[in-house]
Amino acid sequence: MRQALTRYIIRRGLQSLFLVWIATLIGFTIYQLAPGGPLQFLDDDPKRTAADFDRLSALYGLNRPILVQYLAWLTGEDWFTILPGGAAWQSGQCRVNAERCGRGILRLDFGRSFYFKGSNVIDLIVERIPATFMLGFSSLVISVAVGIPSGIYAALHRGKLPDHIIRVTTVLVNTVPEWWIGLLLLIILGGYLRLVPLGGMETIGDGSLPDRLHHLALPAVVSAISGWISISRIMRFEMLEVLNQDYVRTARAKGLPEHLVIWRHVLRNAILPFVTGLSGIFLIFLSGSILFELVFSWPGMGRLAVIAINSRDYPVMMGLFVISSFLGIMGVLMVDILYSFVDPRVKYEL
Amino acid sequence: MKGYRYPAHWLVVILVVCALLATQCAPPTTPPPEAQATPTAIAPATPAPTETGAPATEQAPTPTIAATLEVSQQVITQVVEESEAAKAREPQKGITVVSDEDVTTPRTKRGGEYKDVATSDAVSFHPYLTTDTASSSYQGMVYTGGLLRLDENTLQYIPNMAEKYSISEDGLTFTFHLRKGMLWSDGQPITARDFEWTYQQVINPANEFPYLSQLGFIKSYKALDDYTLEIKIDKVYCPSLGQMSGLITPLPKHVWEKLPWNDPDKNPEMNKPSVVSGPYKLVEWKRDQYAVFEANENYWYHGAPNISRYVIEIVPDQDVAYQKMKTGESDTGPITPDKLKEARQLPNITVYEWWPAAALWSYIGLNMRPGFPTHNLHVRRGLSYAIDKDLLTEEVMQGQAKRLCSVYPETSWVYNPDVPCYDYDPEKAIAEFKQAGYTFQDGKMLDQNGKQLRLKLIFGPNTSKTRELIAVTVQDYLRRIGVEADIQAMEWSTYLEALHSNEPDWDIYIGGWQATIEPHIMYTIWAEENIPQLNSVAYINKEVERLFEEAGSNCDLEFRKEKYQQIQRIIAEDAPYIFLFYNKSWSGQNKRIKGIVPTALGIGWNMEDWYIEEAPTP
Repeated sequence: MRQALTRYIIRRGLQSLFLVWIATLIGFTIYQLAPGGPLQFLDDDPKRTAADFDRLSALYGLNRPILVQYLAWLTGEDWFTILPGGAAWQSGQCRVNAERCGRGILRLDFGRSFYFKGSNVIDLIVERIPATFMLGFSSLVISVAVGIPSGIYAALHRGKLPDHIIRVTTVLVNTVPEWWIGLLLLIILGGYLRLVPLGGMETIGDGSLPDRLHHLALPAVVSAISGWISISRIMRFEMLEVLNQDYVRTARAKGLPEHLVIWRHVLRNAILPFVTGLSGIFLIFLSGSILFELVFSWPGMGRLAVIAINSRDYPVMMGLFVISSFLGIMGVLMVDILYSFVDPRVKYEL
Repeated sequence: MKGYRYPAHWLVVILVVCALLATQCAPPTTPPPEAQATPTAIAPATPAPTETGAPATEQAPTPTIAATLEVSQQVITQVVEESEAAKAREPQKGITVVSDEDVTTPRTKRGGEYKDVATSDAVSFHPYLTTDTASSSYQGMVYTGGLLRLDENTLQYIPNMAEKYSISEDGLTFTFHLRKGMLWSDGQPITARDFEWTYQQVINPANEFPYLSQLGFIKSYKALDDYTLEIKIDKVYCPSLGQMSGLITPLPKHVWEKLPWNDPDKNPEMNKPSVVSGPYKLVEWKRDQYAVFEANENYWYHGAPNISRYVIEIVPDQDVAYQKMKTGESDTGPITPDKLKEARQLPNITVYEWWPAAALWSYIGLNMRPGFPTHNLHVRRGLSYAIDKDLLTEEVMQGQAKRLCSVYPETSWVYNPDVPCYDYDPEKAIAEFKQAGYTFQDGKMLDQNGKQLRLKLIFGPNTSKTRELIAVTVQDYLRRIGVEADIQAMEWSTYLEALHSNEPDWDIYIGGWQATIEPHIMYTIWAEENIPQLNSVAYINKEVERLFEEAGSNCDLEFRKEKYQQIQRIIAEDAPYIFLFYNKSWSGQNKRIKGIVPTALGIGWNMEDWYIEEAPTP
């Protein structure tokens, strides 16, 4: 049994790594195919000449074939010299200064940013992880705290007025893009009523806990909306499914008080698939906060991604891509493994 | 119980990957900057192109220009027989210019904090790597301007860090004498060695300076002693004085020479400069959140600026930034054209307005390549007549713009009012089309084969409301003379790619440039060698190129003016563009900020003299 589990984890782990690699290949190709490039900021600047453009292209190695650029990104370019004529594959910067040679993602070198003028990609990302994590985590907490009770409530009052009210509200709210709700609330609550700050993570020069919570409140609530809606729906669905089970009827038949039936038999069974999936949901929350980060000037990874995409900063885009696909794929792997612990009926096979 | 497994986890994996892909590849929500020419060299890294789609909103106070103070007298030792303006702009041969400007009297209205908002953060404090506006304004806070600066009234170059300069008889050697007593923020003197060292780094091709070719005309750049710089050039080139004196702002050699020039890992000065020459010192910079500056007591120009602290907060949305200004959370904010009326009524805000020397202007580019209908001169002229540019200026820009008839706006010293302007006249338009072999029949413009003329019109970025409005208005006017226009709005990068394609498939596009104070820079957009990049319409006229060459190599003012005026006439006659309008600039400032004087250089030129009314005076 234990052996089977280990084998399962190893196999799934390897598969996941393969999946991450495929994702990088797809990501790299898509980014390279998008129009423009890291030097597009010079495209229509009459102060530069074609010579300036070519010089920078060669320095950054952007004049190399895409495959070579991918290889350099994956494996680094310092070893290219051992290939016959391989030095020509190195970027100009690497040839001038060996310290500027990329070492490749396989050696955990995420490279250097074009847009941020040589800053290490990993530093740029790490700098922004806490903000994204804070927003993602608090909106998850809020959506669970609101979503589960409202789902349960709707299920228990199925077909009655509260259920309808909850359903109609969720459908209504769901039809409006949340970032738009965010912008609207920001302008009403922040601009006119001045109850909340107009974006940002802290007041400049303050940064105390109450100040941070004050800044966090609106973005967390707004970005929790979609999570709250889907959690509430899932919860209602799971509850209804369990409520129809025979053992629930049995429990009722043997005269158990209704609240005990709900609490002990229905809720516990209904919530199980949900709890195990939570880690995966959390990762989705992390990746879903791009628009909210934009609306609320939240200095997280999402805003970095937007900057990188707008400026065609390939290394930063790829860095974020690798990290988020890694997180996502690992999240799912984690859910699978956890689930197999929780539910002994799950077999370790593929 | 073999059957039960966690359902469809592969599906979940794929979904997650797809979701990630989708979020990562989401279209940019902030409009990227627009096709522009850049203004003359004032700051070392010149402002990057600005979006003309939302004109002037990004023109808010750019502290970039370390230019300051009221014009003071200059003593011109060898008076040249020229007009006032001539002395000014033209690097004369065999002259010496001395400044007796007082630069030491300290400012008296000190104190307080200015709260700025910006929609995009700087990239780096390194003055020789960046090209964006945000970075150059940050750099302008901490690094002082060049040897000379533009006078805000006459737009002429006047001594700045150099108190005296002279130009040799042959016009090829420039000698600058630095002011003595200028200090870095750590108390070390600013010397000619700093300039020379900085120049040597900048011209190293491995050092990534994007505008290296702009310095190509300099033959040598030497510090003769601590306070004398000698710059030699190959041949007489009229914009040279501005470029050589503006492109290089010194970096502190004693700090930087031990550090790698362009590696932020090993050179902390790149993103957190500790020794500076400008009006402010950097206190803290949190990327994408805020930057805090405090007055530099050692600033060479009248000492510390009046306002003691300067805070820039990053807000990614213009609406939110505007709200901040409205609520007083910030002292300024972007005002989009549609909010201008409201902003003028705000009780706490003064809206300053000016016609900038480096105005943004809009045009419709006509593809002149053979095989396109617009290859024919009469078609281009016909299209020019067909569009009511006065109405466009009035309606689209709501009075915040003026008509433009050729390459230079009225604010330029070479402006030529006497060029064909193609005032709206559908009769003339149809007549021009007839000359090109078209027939106007049943409300349709038919070509020789009896097919209706259809033109493909592109514009970008698709988020620009102004350009969208221009596009649909143009479409409407063309329909009146029986020409169908198919509009295609494009995302910024796609638009640029289409524009700069070697084999374009569009007939007309909507574009914009920023005028330059030095007229010569506009040469690049009409030169054959810049097809298809800057010269996207593929305009080829050897006469125009010859006139530009002549105007650049003979520095006599009247001579140059005449050449540029001829150029304007020829280009207007050739009608490669339908010239539309150039924009006014404006900026909203909280009423507590005093001392703001809008000029053709904007309002940022005397930022160090701004003061806060309620601030306690020491």
